Amino acid sequence: MKRIRVWLTLLLWILMAALLSSCLESSSPHIAIDKTRNIHMIVKMNRGDYWNTVKMGAEAAAKEFNVKLTFKAPGTESDVKEQIAMVEDSIKGQADVIILAASSYMGLAQVVDKAAYYRIPVISVDAEVGSARVTTYIGSSGYEAGQKSAKRLVQLLNGSGEIGVLNFTNTPDKQESGSESDIDYGARDADEREKGFLNYVARYPSVHVVDISYTPSVTSEAEELTRLMLIKHPNLRGIAALNETASQGAAAVLRERGLRSIKMVAFDSSPTMMEQIQEGIVQATVIQNPFSNGYLAVKNAVEILQGIKVPERVDTGTKLIDLDNMLWPENQKLLFPFVR
Amino acid sequence: MLKERANFFPLRPQRRGTRRGKFTSRLLSIQVILTVTLTSIAVLVTVIVSFALYNRFAKTAEENASLNMQQIIEQVNYNLGLYVNGMRNIYKKAEQQIGQNAAIDSPMLQESLSTLLESREDLVSFAVFTPEGRLVLDVPSAPMRRNTRMGEQSWFIAPKKAGDISFSQPHVQNLFKKRYTWVVSMSKMIAYTDHGTRKKGILLIDFNFRTIDELSKQVKLGKRGYAYILDSLGNIVYHPQQQLIYAGLKYENVEPVLEYAYRSYLDESTGEKRFITVRTLNQTGWKIVGVAYYDEIVTTKRDLNQFMMLFLPLSILCVIVVSVLLSARIARPISKLERTVQQVVEGDLNTSINVRGAYEVEQLSKRFNLMLQRIRKLMDQIIYEQETKRKGELEVLQSQINPHFLYNTLNSVIRLAERGKNEEVVTMIQSLSKFFRISLSKGKNIITLREELDHIRHYLVIQSFRFKNKFRYEIKAQPEVLNCLTVKLILQPIVENALYHGIEMMPDEGLIEIAAELRNGLVVITVRDNGLGMSGETLKGILKGGVKSGSGSGVGVRNVHERIRLYYGREYGLSFESELEEGTTVTVAFPAQYGDDGETATEGAKSL
Repeated sequence: MKRIRVWLTLLLWILMAALLSSCLESSSPHIAIDKTRNIHMIVKMNRGDYWNTVKMGAEAAAKEFNVKLTFKAPGTESDVKEQIAMVEDSIKGQADVIILAASSYMGLAQVVDKAAYYRIPVISVDAEVGSARVTTYIGSSGYEAGQKSAKRLVQLLNGSGEIGVLNFTNTPDKQESGSESDIDYGARDADEREKGFLNYVARYPSVHVVDISYTPSVTSEAEELTRLMLIKHPNLRGIAALNETASQGAAAVLRERGLRSIKMVAFDSSPTMMEQIQEGIVQATVIQNPFSNGYLAVKNAVEILQGIKVPERVDTGTKLIDLDNMLWPENQKLLFPFVR
Repeated sequence: MLKERANFFPLRPQRRGTRRGKFTSRLLSIQVILTVTLTSIAVLVTVIVSFALYNRFAKTAEENASLNMQQIIEQVNYNLGLYVNGMRNIYKKAEQQIGQNAAIDSPMLQESLSTLLESREDLVSFAVFTPEGRLVLDVPSAPMRRNTRMGEQSWFIAPKKAGDISFSQPHVQNLFKKRYTWVVSMSKMIAYTDHGTRKKGILLIDFNFRTIDELSKQVKLGKRGYAYILDSLGNIVYHPQQQLIYAGLKYENVEPVLEYAYRSYLDESTGEKRFITVRTLNQTGWKIVGVAYYDEIVTTKRDLNQFMMLFLPLSILCVIVVSVLLSARIARPISKLERTVQQVVEGDLNTSINVRGAYEVEQLSKRFNLMLQRIRKLMDQIIYEQETKRKGELEVLQSQINPHFLYNTLNSVIRLAERGKNEEVVTMIQSLSKFFRISLSKGKNIITLREELDHIRHYLVIQSFRFKNKFRYEIKAQPEVLNCLTVKLILQPIVENALYHGIEMMPDEGLIEIAAELRNGLVVITVRDNGLGMSGETLKGILKGGVKSGSGSGVGVRNVHERIRLYYGREYGLSFESELEEGTTVTVAFPAQYGDDGETATEGAKSL
């Protein structure tokens, strides 16, 4: 008799539980924010509108997902050693996740492996790093961006003329030593953009890339390089700058000299660059989605910590902006961070 | 003892060897049925009532939450209305100042507009343009950019169409150098005086989102809830996560919002239940949309859920416990009764049932006890009867060769022989021989009445030799009664009694009349003597065995009586009528039965 009672009771309980659970709707899973996450974000440089916007995006996500965000960046984009030290620091600081915009594709590979050894997930943002241990990459395709830039510049030049490219890299000694080693020490995004640009331009026999200069991330040096380029190539008809600093430097020189005949396609969307477009100094700029990059990096970091599967690669896209479309509402939203 | 009884009652049900179907029978026990019924009814009622209440409360809670939220959004709407009105007032003030001032480029106008601008944190700039787009006045003064493409912008186009102040959607103001600010623009065609001539121009006032932000920030709709503002075209004017929306990282489902000016509904498009409340600002056509997460705002419901989760199992547990106890209380006496009866069934008749419980059960137990008592009594009676029967038969057996009687009779024979009365000796010996023959009857207990009467006749013949001329006897029998069966040796003790107690002491000659007849299916034999008779007390004691003649043949009258009763039933037997000095009549009555085989009858007939 007791056994039956036990079974009956059990049956009743199950019935009740089923009844109750069917009534109380279970809410769909969303990212739990009850625990504070410790996420370190290390980008290439602590200056520049681009990185500020990345930071803004990261901070927006940090606020939303209850993340303690530690934002770190060296003074210049070429300071690989400093960046490595920062990653080491984050490993020691036992970050939950490290978000890294690598200044050097190979230069940071080892330290990323080390982080992975300590079971700290690493998310690549903007620039990839040469490690298989990276959990996910968030950013735009540099190759595509380079092609977009080239396409517009060729259009502006009507398919002929000399072009100077102003790229950035983090190993200034590479040029000096001239040793084109097997290992790619440059920043991945810079290389990709250049490759994309050159590949596109190669289709036009009458367009010649006469000079490629590499600037460290200081505007004054970029200006210097631009001046040098202008002196070296008096017939230069177009300039393509492949990052924010280079763009600002080149635009400043063009404006200073009043050289309206030289067409320029810039990179990234700092307010100064927008002004240059409005002033007609720069004809177009290729923009990325820095806010989205920052935001998605932190969001994915939180998702990884909660065991949610994230895609291996998130392409946030690039866009070409010129005077005609810069005031389109959807582009305004991308170009100018909403500051209250 | 038990075993003995078991042998005694071979037909009594034996203890069941195997308990087949124990489980099913247990399932159908009163307690289980009661428990299940009580529990299920109680649980059903509890659940139904709880859910009815729950739904009622939940609905009320939902309504309250919705109402509360609507009030909050209403408040925001009101505040925003006030704010927009304030902005309009500023616009009118500026318009007034510009219109009244004699020259558009006078420093005084610049001054007063600057003061107005600085009075509010949210004002960004004042500017007047000619309808062709030339800048006439700007406060604060800043160089204008080239390629502003203002002709394409809504704030520039709208005043040309409408007379009233128009509010633009949020946009980046690209007119002036040094800043790209997100603003909302108010614009209208106004009149101003330039170099003495009255001209028409567009007054543009930009304001930023500071105040709107602050107004919307006050909205507390649970932890995650928020409010946002849409313009009439569905562009987001303000959103707490505006940049995320602008970057395309978040979406707001604005279509259902745009369809209504005033609405509250439950939205599940994001997979989560959300309350959406829409209010429209009349001045600008902006829509204030409140978004609250259902599970956060309807906290009452969640509390209720928790309470229910606690209360329901608890109450059901209580119900189960109570029903188990209750049913146990009801069922225990019955199952106890069942066990006791089982004991009885197994043969222990001495079990006394003393079950306390419900009235019916107690009654049942009492009645059962009574029944048991009766069974015990009957059982005792049967045992007693059986024993008596055997004893009686033994006595009869003994009486068949009563040595005393034989001795007396043989003495009489000797005496007769001495006197040389050969004929009488022969008769006597003949009678004696027949007497014993019938007495023995091959060991049978039942003989025909004919034989019985023969037997008594021989006895009387023998006795008449002993009591010389002391008595006479008459034996009358209806012919049809002769073939009836009877227990043997029933008349001899009676006649013996009559002789020894009634007639022997009598001075006169006695008479013994024996008559047998069939009366209403009964064999009635009367033995009458005219002897001394008996007193009433003797009469009473005679059947109870109190009176016992010491010199009798051994089988008493009582033995006869009991044998008849044992064989035929309690209502049959002997009855005595007696009066002192008059005589005694003994009536023997028992049902008439006929032997199925005629052997005894024919034998008896032969011996007559």
